[in-house]
Amino acid sequence: MRKTMMFIFVAMVMMFVATPVFAQGGGEAAGSAFKWAIPIGAGIAIGIAAGLCGLGQGKATASAVEALARNPGARPGIFIFLLLGLALIESLGLYALVIAFQIMKMH
Amino acid sequence: MPEQLWFTALLNKVFGGPVNAFLQKLPPALHPAHPEAPISNAVAMEVLVVATLILVFLFVRSRLSVSKPGATQHLAEMLNDFIAKQGEEIIGHGSERFVPFLTALFLFILVSNLIGLIPGFISPSADTAMPLGCAVVAFTYYNLHGLRVQGLGYIKHFMGPVWWLAWLILPIEIISTLARVMSLTIRLYANIFAGDMVTGAFFALMPIGVPVVFLLLHVAVSALQAYIFVLLTTIYLQGAVAQEH
Repeated sequence: MRKTMMFIFVAMVMMFVATPVFAQGGGEAAGSAFKWAIPIGAGIAIGIAAGLCGLGQGKATASAVEALARNPGARPGIFIFLLLGLALIESLGLYALVIAFQIMKMH
Repeated sequence: MPEQLWFTALLNKVFGGPVNAFLQKLPPALHPAHPEAPISNAVAMEVLVVATLILVFLFVRSRLSVSKPGATQHLAEMLNDFIAKQGEEIIGHGSERFVPFLTALFLFILVSNLIGLIPGFISPSADTAMPLGCAVVAFTYYNLHGLRVQGLGYIKHFMGPVWWLAWLILPIEIISTLARVMSLTIRLYANIFAGDMVTGAFFALMPIGVPVVFLLLHVAVSALQAYIFVLLTTIYLQGAVAQEH
């Protein structure tokens, strides 16, 4: 089993060594009458994402703190679930951040 | 000539020629964007991280002893127990064989994230390639173990609870499994990259005092993101390997 996996991983490394080839591609001709709207779009995207992410994480933290107050002995389990929930919600806000960066690259 | 760190420049000076020759001998002959510097900053930093980790492991190995464990052995055992305990809580029995891979993944991501804090080095996780590599390796690992434990019945996981909805659920499950690779990658990349950007922005605004707070935040985020990556891989392993008795 381990030998098979080693073989597969080494094959993947050999195949994926192609990264130096990818130079930066050129720009495209977007509708130049509305170029002023691009930063506004990026700003709105990340604003809405950060706000909703804050709401979600607030709700998660509130229920974790309440559960801890009811049952202080369950602290390790609650802590792990809190961390997992917060990181998953945070990652949704980060997807929006990455999209905002991609939008700004068009500007 | 791209901008290189001192370590990258050193590696390119020593290994630049052989790396170029190797790239051109591969079946699709690859030509790097900058032939005088075929090794990029991120790759050079990854090499440094792996070399440092191997040196640390060799040092720990030389200090192991059954009868008189020293401080180094206690630290290494604490780290191993941390990952092993979590694996056992989540996966249940049969989790010991996954612990070496998970510990190596955790240490690699943790050190890659932290090395960006030292001036003169950058985090390889701030480049999209390294988190994608870790995510693809973790994805391949848990799928291979799922196939090993459950044989071809592994596909039944993707079919849903009832057989007459399998035609609908199968594409959704396949897409959501592939989305795991994307989510693992972007979570790690965006956390570290955005942390770097925010720290850079505050350095430009207020060079004294305030960036220290952001550097501390970056340390906490690095550790948390490495832990979350391994925790999610453990959960996916549990989903792949668990058998109903």
